Amino acid sequence: MHVDGLGSILNFIKSNQNLDGGWGYRIGSASLVEPTSFCILALLSGGEERLAGLGRDYLNTCLKAPGGIGTSPYDPNASWMAYAALLAYRALGETDQAKSLISWILGFKDGSDLLTSADIKITKRLYRFDPSISGWPWTVKTSAWVESTSLFLIALARAGVPLSNRRMVSGSSLLLDRRIPSGGWNFGNPYSKNFQMDATALSTSLALVALAATGHTEKEAAILSGIRFLQKSLLSRDQSVIALAWGLIALRSFSPRDTLVSTVGKYLNDLQQDDGSFRGNPFESALAYIALSDESLIISSPGIF
Amino acid sequence: MKHRSLKRRQFIGALGTTSFALLPARHSPISRGLLSGKSRSPKPHQVAIAECNNYSAQTLFGALHSGWRHALSPDVKNRHVVIKPNIVDFTPDKPIETDARLIEALILLLKSHGAGKITLAEGPAHNRDSEMIFHKTGYTSVAKRQAVSLIDLNYDDVQWIQNDHHQGRFFEHVYLPETILSADVFISVAKMKTHRFAGVTLSLKNMLGILPGMMYGWPKNIIHWNGIPRSICEIAGLIKPHFVIIDGVVGMEGYGPLLGKSKQAGVLVFSDNALAADSTAARIMGVDPVRVEYMRLAQRFGLGSTRSQDINIYGGSIDSFRTNFDLEEPFEYLRAPKNAHP
Repeated sequence: MHVDGLGSILNFIKSNQNLDGGWGYRIGSASLVEPTSFCILALLSGGEERLAGLGRDYLNTCLKAPGGIGTSPYDPNASWMAYAALLAYRALGETDQAKSLISWILGFKDGSDLLTSADIKITKRLYRFDPSISGWPWTVKTSAWVESTSLFLIALARAGVPLSNRRMVSGSSLLLDRRIPSGGWNFGNPYSKNFQMDATALSTSLALVALAATGHTEKEAAILSGIRFLQKSLLSRDQSVIALAWGLIALRSFSPRDTLVSTVGKYLNDLQQDDGSFRGNPFESALAYIALSDESLIISSPGIF
Repeated sequence: MKHRSLKRRQFIGALGTTSFALLPARHSPISRGLLSGKSRSPKPHQVAIAECNNYSAQTLFGALHSGWRHALSPDVKNRHVVIKPNIVDFTPDKPIETDARLIEALILLLKSHGAGKITLAEGPAHNRDSEMIFHKTGYTSVAKRQAVSLIDLNYDDVQWIQNDHHQGRFFEHVYLPETILSADVFISVAKMKTHRFAGVTLSLKNMLGILPGMMYGWPKNIIHWNGIPRSICEIAGLIKPHFVIIDGVVGMEGYGPLLGKSKQAGVLVFSDNALAADSTAARIMGVDPVRVEYMRLAQRFGLGSTRSQDINIYGGSIDSFRTNFDLEEPFEYLRAPKNAHP
């Protein structure tokens, strides 16, 4: 993308910062931790440290006493949006907050240890995955899913948590266990009874980025079939901003020089609106900015894991 | 799992005193009557059935006019109407979602009745990629053609509705989208389908789609951990649509709600009471609503009645529309005997 295009994304983000320093998922909507964190990443990449600092101040108001972070200051509970805050605090160099979030995330558990042996047996039979493998849920003590597990793995890996960490190992095992045999991932059910479920571009992209971040390579059959599914999906020209952005990061994670990278980048570029945004959505605009310019904020070293 | 039933008075009292804005950035007033433990619809409930054999604009418009006239439809003149279809996910050639052509015809009907602002609102359950789902199901095009808003409830501003008297209840508080809470008129347009966990999915279960994904995830897994029947009743007890329509033109039978087979029932069902509409739709599907756990529980919650003697039907008889939907093995016991409408 031309610098002008990237600059206009930044201008959109800058001009739509809420008075509390944060951003929501729509212009004028209430600030939340996930969109604010991604806008901070984009602003840091663009050298806008003062506005990123205001975003950090907003994030600080969302921190919870035990170490997690809510979706907003008004949220009584810590939430899954901690993954995004961890990426932002790391990029901001706020090591104390990052360490605190890492600790909270590693203690944020799914409900796998609440399942009975009968539950596990039924799930294995009907859905053909192993629910006893722990990953990350969206809400505490519920099931782990592909996208939530992927997001936490990505953030933890970027923050330097050792890949040998027990939860990192288990999380990537979960992703491999939930893959769809024909290639790719969906939200987390490869089968339902006798039916193989369809993969989706977004879930597949996130799983691939997470697996790259945790040291897996395209020599593994699951990764290779996932990349093939993603390549086919992204070329359909029928994908959303969020799928194209994460898809671009996923492709760069494995094959940064692939010609498809520039094609998908062009497809994503084409969705930019006249106001510089992607769908008028600060979160998606910031994610697109990162995907098009500086994925190092999310993945540490593209192509050389 | 053992559940204690909820006393209606407790529900009303709790909600009347403890709803408040969690995210104050765009606080909107809560529509009077939307949050209420009380069934607004007196017995006998009024349900309309309209024959509708295809999704052509002409057929849909005729059926919608008929149902709107015969059921207790709301006054929409100059009011903000929010329509909540069922768009749980998308798979090509599977009738998973409320057909977008029906929604477009409904928008035209509402405009003809002088509706003010019209908003389409849904929070797809399985997939964070709502943009893709709305696009592929045709909803993005409908919203554009009809110049109405299409809101992804998964990312809407939310309010935190707390219930202090949660005795044994799973949802001590619930995050609800402002778009729903600020509606003058809230219309649910569900799909007629079988469901692998609940037996059938109709208007009451459609309400689970209003839970915002950013608070509950994709899927909104807490409802499975808490138990689907109880979750349906607690959410449907909190937010009551002013009017419901069930899309049975082409429904889904067998292993629904995603992987079943198409089933043409050729019918639309209308009511101001979700439980009465669902009971009637279930009977059309050849299902005894009294045997559906969440419908039985909904009656105990005071959300209306499943009993045929409590429901006046306009537009035709159930028997003339009855089309047995295939039921998967665990739910074969739901089958209603022929001509029996308890």
